[in-house]
Amino acid sequence: MNQRRFWSALSALLIAALIGAACAAPAQAPATTGEPATGASDCPEPNPRLEVTSRQVNLFVWTEYIPQETIRCFEQVYGVRVNKDEYSSNEEMYAKLSAGGANYDLVQPTDYFVPLLIRQGLLQELDKSRLPILDSLDPNYLNLDFDPGNVYSIPYQAGTDAIIVNTAVVDPIPQSFADLWNPVYAGRLVMIDDSRAIIGATLLALGYDVNTTNPAELEEAKVKLAELARGIKLFDSDSPKTALIAGDVDLGIVWTGEAVIAKREVPSFEYIYPTEGAILWQDNYAIPKDAPNLDAAYAWLNYSMQGDVFWRMLEEFPYTNPNLAALEYAKENHPELYEEYINSNITNTPPEELQRGHRIRDVGDATPLYDRVWTEIKGG
Amino acid sequence: MIQHIRENRRLQGLLLIFPAMFVMVMLLVIPLTLTVITSFGQRDADGNVIYTFTLENYWRLLGFTEQGWDDLYLRILLRSLWLAVQTTVIVILMAYPLAYFIARSPEKRRNFLLFLVLVPLWTNFVIRIYAWVMILRSQGVLNSTLAATADLLNVPFQPLDLYPSQTAVLIGMVYEFLPFMILPIYTSLEKIEPSLYEAAADLYANAFRTFWRVTVPLSMPGIVAGTILTFIPVIGTFVVSDILGGRQVILVGNLVQRQFLDARNPPFGAAASIILLVMTLVLTLYYTRRFGLGEEIAAG
Repeated sequence: MNQRRFWSALSALLIAALIGAACAAPAQAPATTGEPATGASDCPEPNPRLEVTSRQVNLFVWTEYIPQETIRCFEQVYGVRVNKDEYSSNEEMYAKLSAGGANYDLVQPTDYFVPLLIRQGLLQELDKSRLPILDSLDPNYLNLDFDPGNVYSIPYQAGTDAIIVNTAVVDPIPQSFADLWNPVYAGRLVMIDDSRAIIGATLLALGYDVNTTNPAELEEAKVKLAELARGIKLFDSDSPKTALIAGDVDLGIVWTGEAVIAKREVPSFEYIYPTEGAILWQDNYAIPKDAPNLDAAYAWLNYSMQGDVFWRMLEEFPYTNPNLAALEYAKENHPELYEEYINSNITNTPPEELQRGHRIRDVGDATPLYDRVWTEIKGG
Repeated sequence: MIQHIRENRRLQGLLLIFPAMFVMVMLLVIPLTLTVITSFGQRDADGNVIYTFTLENYWRLLGFTEQGWDDLYLRILLRSLWLAVQTTVIVILMAYPLAYFIARSPEKRRNFLLFLVLVPLWTNFVIRIYAWVMILRSQGVLNSTLAATADLLNVPFQPLDLYPSQTAVLIGMVYEFLPFMILPIYTSLEKIEPSLYEAAADLYANAFRTFWRVTVPLSMPGIVAGTILTFIPVIGTFVVSDILGGRQVILVGNLVQRQFLDARNPPFGAAASIILLVMTLVLTLYYTRRFGLGEEIAAG
């Protein structure tokens, strides 16, 4: 093969590679996290240890929501490989789950998505006898109206959508969602890329219900939000804290855990509960109807949420933690983390904020209205 | 059986093309047909596809909605086209001198230089684009370097507001597609017989004239091939604009992707992808009719 031919052939190969690269979304196939590690026994023992014959478990979870250490330990103590696929919005999770054929064993829908998944027959009923972990969970987070009796879901973590602001550089400090429309914030805003949360905040700023199904109110919210959108520099649901810490943006609407970590890095960040009331949410674990590795799924639920494992969430993904055993364990063994958690008005949501906060609900037939507002906002 | 195949040339041919045909039908013809069918459908409240026959999705894309005229989606199409044109032109201007330099280097060094062009491709595409976030962000590599330089020279410095922005997306696209322009142009430049330059010189053509009348026309196939390799993927891509545009720079690729995921409206996404396909097809056909097929694509 002469040189010219060689390079021609190489360019042909490149074409193929290019097409592959251009079309591939990041992480399409379930990404394996490696072979189960053996040897070091620094991992807590499962309590109780369940019978597992499956060789793997397929998680479909939010980005930045599971400590790597938890995965490593589960692989070690059960000898089961953990495959993890991630999503950055409930809508994305729903689209992939309802398309079928993905073989996930566990998903993490937010509260208002649970009724939709149930209605579409995408979930299976949980076998409570295989969930001793339920005893460790705070009853305040159980038996809520999106899934009465926790037939299909158990709580994972909870939190709020409120305002994060770098008080060192932002003046005036916004006190409400409506304040965010102040032109001095234009070009400095970051928002989670979450349609219901951001449209919800806009509805609240207008004085409407966060779950309105009135087309006129939504149309008004669209116009109002379009005004704000021009000043939004970044939509990011994966890690809005990164841009905040790096100083690309100075304020915006984010989730609990992102705010805690941003504040850890840069203490001048403050989390402001808006006067309209924050948006309250709870993420949950549920098992898809055709989950192939049920035994491993139950083992994962019990092990990953047992106190001496789940305490890690306080450190790595600090949201409001419904797991009493984990909090207890942290209090005993990692007092500084526990102190941070319990004294933070971000993770330990003040009771009056829970009182005046708003819960997003499944809006049923009005869903296309919300989706359309979001498309038109994000498209412009 | 074996004997039969050995004697039947027609059967041999069929067997040889079967794998490629199978892949084309399974991965191209069938999905494309499904996309066309879906694009005439509607969604229900939960985001499931209802298979009907309506042109509503297409009308909405072209600006005719129930609420009246709305050119949102036409603007997205135009923005994508314009970005693809900008990327392609910049990439040609950057790739040509480099390809020329490599093609005129001593034969032994050429392979090494081409190797250098290819080295970045060994790293995953998404990671390379993320690297640009680190470079372009307000307190990133670029701004801190400029700030330090400005400090040394004692001149005032205002950090460049590059990430996230449409400019950042353009930079990312140019970076990503540069190698795919360099290689085909190099291949066609390298083919030019040195005697042609001597002939031009014998006929008293100066360097500029030689370049314009000999080099450029003979390297056109490379430019055409590179253009096709750049323009088409840029129009459809969504990862670069998602990462460097802060999910605020919406190209038609993003529109399609979002309709299938976040907006739960597969029929509308399908219609958008069909429009994208038709647009790309028409432009490519026009371009190749006008300038030839770019034989470097065929790797001749």
